[in-house]
Amino acid sequence: MYDVISAEESEVPAVGLIAEGFKDDAKSAASSRSMPGARCIPTIIPPEATKMEEIEAGVEDCFEDVLKALTSPLTTAEKSSEAKKVEEAPRIIFKGSLDDINLFFYRRGWTDGFPVVPPTEEKVAEMLTGTDLPPDTLLGKLLPRQGKVTVEKIAVNAVIAGALPTYLPVILAATQLLLDSEMGFRGYCTFGVSTGSWAPFWVINGPIRNEINLNYKSGVLSPGNIANAAIGRAIGLVIKNIGGVRKGIEDMGVMGNPMKYTMVMAENEEESPWEPLHTDFGLDREDNSIAISFPQSWIQNYPPANEADAILRSLLNHLIPGMMHTIIFPPVHARTLAAEGWSKPDIKEFIRENARMPAPGRAVEIVPLINDVRTLRVMVAGGPGAFIAQAVGGGPTPGKAEIRKIELPKNWAKLVAKYKNIVPDHLRY
Amino acid sequence: MTTDKTAAVYEVLSPWAEADPVPQRGLIAERPAELAGKKIGLFHMWKRASKPTLGVLERKLKGKYPDAEFSWYEESEMNVPEIESRNKAQYEDWIREVDTVIFTYGD
Repeated sequence: MYDVISAEESEVPAVGLIAEGFKDDAKSAASSRSMPGARCIPTIIPPEATKMEEIEAGVEDCFEDVLKALTSPLTTAEKSSEAKKVEEAPRIIFKGSLDDINLFFYRRGWTDGFPVVPPTEEKVAEMLTGTDLPPDTLLGKLLPRQGKVTVEKIAVNAVIAGALPTYLPVILAATQLLLDSEMGFRGYCTFGVSTGSWAPFWVINGPIRNEINLNYKSGVLSPGNIANAAIGRAIGLVIKNIGGVRKGIEDMGVMGNPMKYTMVMAENEEESPWEPLHTDFGLDREDNSIAISFPQSWIQNYPPANEADAILRSLLNHLIPGMMHTIIFPPVHARTLAAEGWSKPDIKEFIRENARMPAPGRAVEIVPLINDVRTLRVMVAGGPGAFIAQAVGGGPTPGKAEIRKIELPKNWAKLVAKYKNIVPDHLRY
Repeated sequence: MTTDKTAAVYEVLSPWAEADPVPQRGLIAERPAELAGKKIGLFHMWKRASKPTLGVLERKLKGKYPDAEFSWYEESEMNVPEIESRNKAQYEDWIREVDTVIFTYGD
């Protein structure tokens, strides 16, 4: 709808044809661009249709509506220049039992479907001990809804997600990365609303990993650690409740993605023979950081042998042109590669040299599958065992809003001491 | 003895962000009474049905308004509003030349 609005602003009557399933998405887009009255016509033509009979039938069905949209006089509402009111959001929104609160939040569409921790004044105040920023600090406005990103609002969503106050610096940095995101095909907003179901994938580096008990060993992407679970969940709620990205309304992911619940991991820096991921972006090893990408999926690959050539060649079968790839080696393979003299830049160069595909439209010509090695990230995580993970999908333009340093509050040591011992103590059998 | 924690009452803060009222950028443009004799812009983007849909619309419009003119424009960057794209100036020139525009599958 953005283009329809630019035409209307130039005083050129316009209409947008929108596949009928995208009607709500189009209305949200028009509202967020301050022209809720922009005219659009839902059609029965799927956006990816290629059969001409289907397209002919769809145009036949909407033709009169298109003519009306271009020629019918403006309605009274369309002539009104009054600003569109937004839903009031009182600070204290509800009072009730745990069950009542869960039902209320769920019915308002403010959860991810899991039960919530009630964000009481006390819990939010405790969460805010994780930052030196005043609660009313406005960090920006998050697309597409242009919701006001205040520190308190982030803290409320963090409480709901079950986060501890020591996670707040990470969640704040992640939200800043979303705010810094570029417009267009490589930006958060496109990934958030796209039919492609891209999921934010957060990688955390630095000493904070151990201070907040982030998992980077066995089952690094499995459930079971509060930090990995709640940080991703909290950011997902920020995207939904501040950015206004709701499934099936603005988020038009066709299949959806379970990685949207949470996909947060830390690097196993202790067992890596290489410098950690954040140093690839110019940060110091002692810095704390969070990096973002937007994979659609990830696969796990078991190389035929624990030898450098076998490990590296196994990667080549799981690459997609034009995508960002995060390759996560388990320590065993990382050690083998390093022992045989492979650095991270060497590995990226090997992939660039050896990943080939037929040129689009010119099958006889073979061209590189990876053109920019900056779209390859190499890191180490996971437990004992030989599976490699390859996360494949989208991500920021290399060099733009890929990573952010995590700022810690002055009381950090005290805070860590307070929450550090919250770890599972499993019974053995 | 058990404690029924669900019986406790909590007063909770809203997670839904405040937003400024959406100001009108301006009203949508006044419409012509009909399209006869007008120059109709046809803007297509990268999704597969976009261009062929406009092709069918052009044919039907030509049938109904034989003296209408048509002018095509292709989106220059995926998922970037054309007015913010590298082809901004070209787009603005094109918009000035047409009387009305049909966009297919943009959001």
